[in-house]
Amino acid sequence: MSTEPKSPGNGRAQQNPILRVEGVVKRFGENTILNDVSFNVQPGEVVVIVGPSGTGKSTFLRCVNGLEDIQGGRIVFEGQTVNARSRKVIALRRRIGMIFQNFNLYPHLTAVENVTIAPIKVLREPRDSAKERAMELFRKVRLEHRASAYPSEMSGGEQQRVAIARALAMNPSLMMFDEPTSALDPETVGDVLTVMEELAADGSTMLVVTHEMAFADHVGDRMLFMDGGSIIEDGPPEELLRNPKEERTRQFVNSVLRPDTARRRQSNGAAADPG
Amino acid sequence: MYDFNIEAMYPFFDKLPAAIWTTVEISFLATIFSAILGIFLALMRRSDRLMLRAIATTYVEIIRNMPLLVLLYLVFFGLPAFGIVLSGFLSGLIALTLNSAAFMTEIFRAGLIAVPKGQYEAARSQGMTRSRMYLSVILPQILRVSYAPLGNQIIGVIMGSSIMMIATVEEVTAWMNNTGAVTYRYFEAFVVVAVVYLVLCQGTNLLRNLLGRLIFKSVAAGGRW
Amino acid sequence: MILLEFGGTLLRGLGITLWISWLALLLAAIIGMIVGVGRTSRSLPIRLIAQIYTEFFRSIPTLVQLFLVFFGITFVFNINLSPFAAATIALALEGSALMSEVVRGGIQSVGAGQREAARSSGMRAWQVELYVVWPQAIRVMVPPAVGVYVSTLKASALASVIGYVELMQTGLFIRESVRGGPGGLTVLVAVAVLYVIVNFTISQLGAAIERRSSFVH
Repeated sequence: MSTEPKSPGNGRAQQNPILRVEGVVKRFGENTILNDVSFNVQPGEVVVIVGPSGTGKSTFLRCVNGLEDIQGGRIVFEGQTVNARSRKVIALRRRIGMIFQNFNLYPHLTAVENVTIAPIKVLREPRDSAKERAMELFRKVRLEHRASAYPSEMSGGEQQRVAIARALAMNPSLMMFDEPTSALDPETVGDVLTVMEELAADGSTMLVVTHEMAFADHVGDRMLFMDGGSIIEDGPPEELLRNPKEERTRQFVNSVLRPDTARRRQSNGAAADPG
Repeated sequence: MYDFNIEAMYPFFDKLPAAIWTTVEISFLATIFSAILGIFLALMRRSDRLMLRAIATTYVEIIRNMPLLVLLYLVFFGLPAFGIVLSGFLSGLIALTLNSAAFMTEIFRAGLIAVPKGQYEAARSQGMTRSRMYLSVILPQILRVSYAPLGNQIIGVIMGSSIMMIATVEEVTAWMNNTGAVTYRYFEAFVVVAVVYLVLCQGTNLLRNLLGRLIFKSVAAGGRW
Repeated sequence: MILLEFGGTLLRGLGITLWISWLALLLAAIIGMIVGVGRTSRSLPIRLIAQIYTEFFRSIPTLVQLFLVFFGITFVFNINLSPFAAATIALALEGSALMSEVVRGGIQSVGAGQREAARSSGMRAWQVELYVVWPQAIRVMVPPAVGVYVSTLKASALASVIGYVELMQTGLFIRESVRGGPGGLTVLVAVAVLYVIVNFTISQLGAAIERRSSFVH
């Protein structure tokens, strides 16, 4: 029944994982959402989590950030155990950037205020340097012309890029993305994915839950296939997508890699090749 | 025909500014204190702990369904029974604050409900403490929803402050009553007091709308803050 | 136990409170309906007058209105109003302003399409109102009207200030009669409890009506 988690097959140094997940169990009442989830994330690694909807991928990210309690196992981030009930989790969250499906930008603040509020209020950075850094980040996500806009005045793609800048402003050592493009209009998805690719190319450590198979294939160093609250398969994306070992992985890959998706995968890969 | 004679009021005008000031002072203080109390009670009503929820809900239901006058008598006559002797002004302020807090709670609760869950998660994921999250992220969004009913509640407090004359608070209604009793010209006294209340209430209204437009931009036009 | 001794008296006071607030609500509903319809009138002057009426009474404290009616009218028209009559009139005026808002809200909740549909089927203006608009509007009006009743009931306690013996004044009299004894406060608490029980019950009733009528839609 339970699948032994496989060790990452990418040959990176494994003695100092930035994130250690050991047998995590998450229950909501009677329902088990996460069942014995274990894996490590090494610094600089981009780990994509794929799988059918409702299999606990988002819940898992929320557990890592201490937004949800866990009922079993252990999550260790930078050598520190994540405990949602402890006050220490607040300091820990400052080192993890979180990108939500629905952006969750603060509607009462402009884009630049969204990016600077936590550095100023939480990290006690001087206002000027926080703003300077925000403008730098806006250049990075190609939104310098939208800095003074309010979220309600921006497209979904723009809002999500502001959200990415907002997370980066805290200088996190891990960026987590919870289906960052699921709520976007198709034409703005590419802008967000491009920014994410560049982040990956810069060496950011990323944990990405996504349905964008082309992105997962192209940018991910490692892919986890989750189903029913467990990790079914863990390995290089090309392995999982082209040569899955498990039957359930095979079924999932076949269902998502229809011809239209495959075509998009090709064009996307050609358009933004980080290598 | 009734001989309307506003001049009969002139000798009493020197006491009017103090009365107006008392009305403004007690209303202002009660508004501030009850807003603070209301925010905490509203947070309690959304707490995970049944006990806190029950306390807050019971408070709101009792106060909402009790005449302010009854509450005033309870404070005015009740506290001395426990050895706490307060001035009329303080008794009135306490009663007015306790009364308004129940309505403030409902206003802030509605505001809290209007803030999506994702806002809390975003703030927490940025490592904000609870108080920082409420102060910088949640409260500004609540105020956007709540500023209109807040204005109405401030007017409600001004209306309620007139009852404080029962506790010997020398505010505007007390001025009317005293002046009327001395001159037998209640109608003229009423006209004066009516103008005062109209100005206070409509002024509050105007200020509310102005501030609303200033702070929250044109909310109606495009939802920009 | 003081409550055993005076319980009956207090309940009689409660009866009077219910009676005067019910009477005031009835008057308020009649005036409020006229003013409320006026607020939705197509004629600007009528709309304006109706709005000034509403704003005026909403901006004057109930106690001030009570003093005006009780003392002011006595001197202006040279008629002696009993505390009962004065309190009823003052509470009705106050309530009518609230009621006009309720009526306006109810009428405006009926979509313009309903009126157009009714007119296009050949109804006269009064028929449109009577057969189409009001049956729908009344449903919307009932829950907030219950709220007006609760606030009128609460405001009726102020009648004690001009010496009308309802629940509040009954409590104060009893307190007076046991002056010095510890029972005085008990009586005031009992008065408060009675108000809370009655108003809470009425409020819950209003909420129940609101739930039911929202299922109908």
